[in-house]
Order: sequence, then C-alpha cells, then structure tokens
Amino acid sequence: MNQLRPPENGYQSRIRTNVIRLFYWNGAWGAATALMALGPKFLWNKALVFTLLAVGLDVAVGVGMILVNKRYIAELDELQRKVQLNSMGITLGVALIAGVPLSVMDAYHVIPFHADVAYLLILMSLTFAVSNLYGTRRYR
Amino acid sequence: MKNQLKVLRAERDWTQAQLADALDVSRQTINAIETGKFDPSLPLAFRAARLFGLRIEEIFHDEDRRSLATEIKKDTYV
Repeated sequence: MNQLRPPENGYQSRIRTNVIRLFYWNGAWGAATALMALGPKFLWNKALVFTLLAVGLDVAVGVGMILVNKRYIAELDELQRKVQLNSMGITLGVALIAGVPLSVMDAYHVIPFHADVAYLLILMSLTFAVSNLYGTRRYR
Repeated sequence: MKNQLKVLRAERDWTQAQLADALDVSRQTINAIETGKFDPSLPLAFRAARLFGLRIEEIFHDEDRRSLATEIKKDTYV
C-alpha cells in the first residue's frame, strides 16, 4: 500500500477555519445592523452623531464580512465554487424577478402590506439555502 | 469524460478522503469526479496525473473517443 501523507494545512482544515471566520463576521454584522436599527430609539435617543457612528460601524463590518466571504469562496475547490456560483446566480435572478414586481405591487397598492426590503432578504436567504443544498446533494 | 481515478485509487488502497487531501480538494469533489458527475479542470487533472505518476490521458478519457474511432474505421472500409 502506497501511503499518502496528509498535508499540514489541508483543504478541510482551511475551509473549516474560513467557515468559522465567516460565522463570526456574519454575527458581528448582524449585531452592528441591530445596533444601527434599534440604537437610535432605545440607546441614544436619536442623537445624530451616534446614529452616524452606528451606520459607519455597520458599513465597515459589512465590508469586512464581504472580504471574508470573498476569501472563503476563493479558497473553495472548483466543484464547491461551482455550487456556490450556481446558488448565487439563482439567488440574484429570484431577487430580481421577485423584487421588481413586489415593488410595483406595493406602489399601486395591490398588496395589503408594505413591501419591506426584509421580505426580499428572507426570500434571497431561503433561495440561496435551497439552491446550495440542491447543488451539494446533486454532486454527492 | 470517463476516468480511471477509482481504479487507480483502489490499486493503491487509498480512501477518497486521502486522495482529496493529496489533491487539495474536498472528498465530495473526488466522488463527483469518480462517478462522472463532474469533470475536473486542467490544473486538477495535472495534479492527479503527477500524484499517480501517469499522463493525463492515461487517467482521463474523452467519452466520444471510442465512438469517433469506430466512425473513422467504418468510413475507411466503406
């Protein structure tokens, strides 16, 4: 039997590290967004300086999260990257074909509720999760 | 595209996980290549060839190669 020596910093180990890093950055962005959304009302009584600081913090952490996500995707192997790319493509398409009609229906009061951006974010998250799961199972 | 990855791996008694580590990809990718669900890129095919000490064409085959050869042979005798 020809033995293979496992690499020092192998693929699985690198991806695990990147996933953990991404998890923390996502959490930090969620916390920064919550601070920006709720802080003006509950923490600093709508003081403009603090609100602008919270917005700046949210954007800065958001940029960090994007960079970490970009690095995560760059370090995936070619099949995983293909699955991610397909999922992102489907998500972008669904966001466009659902977002524009939702906005139009809101403008003409066809729907009985306000077309909040949160609905679109939820739809995008679900679409990405389902298409990613499908892609992963397809190549299993 | 067909390939001999599973046979070559079995000859060396390597697991999919070991081969994945050696080629710096996920185990899922090795499985997808072995089952013909995914064709590797040229750099990955080169890495596999180097690892097994073979030429790329000894590991990966164009599925149409045989049918193309048959067509040529048929034409020759017509």
